[in-house]
Amino acid sequence: MTDDLFTQAARSIVEQDREAAEAIATEALAAGIPPAQIMSQGFVAGIAQVGELFESGELFLPELMMSAQAMEGAMAITNAALGEGGGHKKGVIVIGTVQGDVHDIGKAIVIAYLKANSYEVYDLGRDCSLATFLAKAEEHQADIIGMSALLTTTMEEQKKLIAHLKEAGTRDKYKVIVGGAPATQRWADAIGADAYAEDASDGVKKIDALLGH
Amino acid sequence: MTSIRTCMGDGHRVELSLDELRRDLLAGSEDAARRAKIPPLDDTEIEWLADIFAYPGRIAGVQPGNEVVLTKDGCANTLYGSQVSSGVGVPLAREQGIRVFERALGFDTMEVGHPDYSFKPAKPLIALEQLTMEQAQLDCVIPLFYGAMPNMGLYFRPDGPFANPADLLPDGRIEEARTTQLEAAARLRDDMLYVAHGIADVGADGIDFDTTASAGDAEFLATLEAVGELAATTDLAIEVGMATELVLGFHGELSYAGTRLAGLWPHQQVAVVEAAGAHIFGPAVTTNTSRSSPWNVARACTFVKACSLAATIPVHANVGMGVGGVPTAEVQPSNVVTRAGVALVEIGRADGL
Repeated sequence: MTDDLFTQAARSIVEQDREAAEAIATEALAAGIPPAQIMSQGFVAGIAQVGELFESGELFLPELMMSAQAMEGAMAITNAALGEGGGHKKGVIVIGTVQGDVHDIGKAIVIAYLKANSYEVYDLGRDCSLATFLAKAEEHQADIIGMSALLTTTMEEQKKLIAHLKEAGTRDKYKVIVGGAPATQRWADAIGADAYAEDASDGVKKIDALLGH
Repeated sequence: MTSIRTCMGDGHRVELSLDELRRDLLAGSEDAARRAKIPPLDDTEIEWLADIFAYPGRIAGVQPGNEVVLTKDGCANTLYGSQVSSGVGVPLAREQGIRVFERALGFDTMEVGHPDYSFKPAKPLIALEQLTMEQAQLDCVIPLFYGAMPNMGLYFRPDGPFANPADLLPDGRIEEARTTQLEAAARLRDDMLYVAHGIADVGADGIDFDTTASAGDAEFLATLEAVGELAATTDLAIEVGMATELVLGFHGELSYAGTRLAGLWPHQQVAVVEAAGAHIFGPAVTTNTSRSSPWNVARACTFVKACSLAATIPVHANVGMGVGGVPTAEVQPSNVVTRAGVALVEIGRADGL
């Protein structure tokens, strides 16, 4: 019966059915299954399937967002069961497209993935100055600053932010992850970023690794 | 040990052994095959690609008899554009640049296009575009297209009047995101038709819709609808060039001719473009900057070959900065660019570039 619940949980996410996700979370808790186990073996497994379907072009951005909403519904129930301080949010991320760059489609996909994978995400928008990144990271007590650049000319902003953090003596306060079409691991290494995300799925994996999940 | 000079997708120079080269070619082809559920390149084609990359000469060329037709995008911006816009900074006017492409560079066709190369900014300047096209038609022998990008992103805030779906979707406002895309698509379609008819009126030979579906399936739908109307009402030769290999499903539920547009790969994209009435199709395969150029070229060839086999109209593969296996770098390495072109023609079976 437990395995069946986990399968149903995963399916509710793949089918973007928030009501079903909430009902299954409630039923699983009532059956005595630990909240963390419900999440990891049920709902998170569903999100992984959603990611694969999205990458193969069988599921699209609105559906990804609805899966994320179904996940939020399930999480609200399991978090309540965990009680105060037991929330399942894995970390706080501020993410934006760098100054001089207005491309944001990739960023929207990354945000959808991160939310679906239980991160608290603050979208700073496009054409974000260094001051915006820093102010919002401070305001939200971010763990991660994510910077997206789609042009070879604007990716320099990623380098500038890291240089600024070093000069200010606050480099260790945030993990910085960079991405966008012209970015590479070599670029991330050269500028001292903590990670490079090749795509949205890779971004989640790298952030999980940075934060020890 | 043989050492083969090539590049990474970001233009960084690397040297590969023959085994590393073959490994990357196989992996690139397999990546395309897995994603699009198409056949990978066969052993003969992989070895052929390996020969193309292993050849020590700086410049590669097709074998005699395999020459193809070139169509052009971006007008003459390769000349007058700055280096950060993929140009070389030669201050020629469009009228001069077009003739340089015809007479000095030997292009088979050429394009008139606005420096701000999208339909939305071209629309208010249609009289200027008509003047340039008309004069170019009198000066040139080769067929002249008018080119522009649908670029539906310009219709969303802050650049346009419609709410931005990239802001709405992360907030879970899905129906609003879908509605605004349809509204913008309708406006885009009307603008494209306005420009196209204006250009047809002054004798343009064709029109090129460049980087189609850059904003996803709604932009693709607007373009297909415009193509259908133009095919029925004008004599324009119509080329549709795509933005990337997968149509992003920003809306997700839009169809044309009974086919859902979201998630289409090149061999599927060409079918709906043909159904709309276009005459040339330009598949685009985005370069992965973290992978080697052989990986990227093999991947591009796999997509383009499947597209060419499925097509009944000529396929002119997009080859340029960041597409067709070419590195995403401001200064293009000629060894990789020429090899990408050869590969897309001789292995990808493209009818043109």
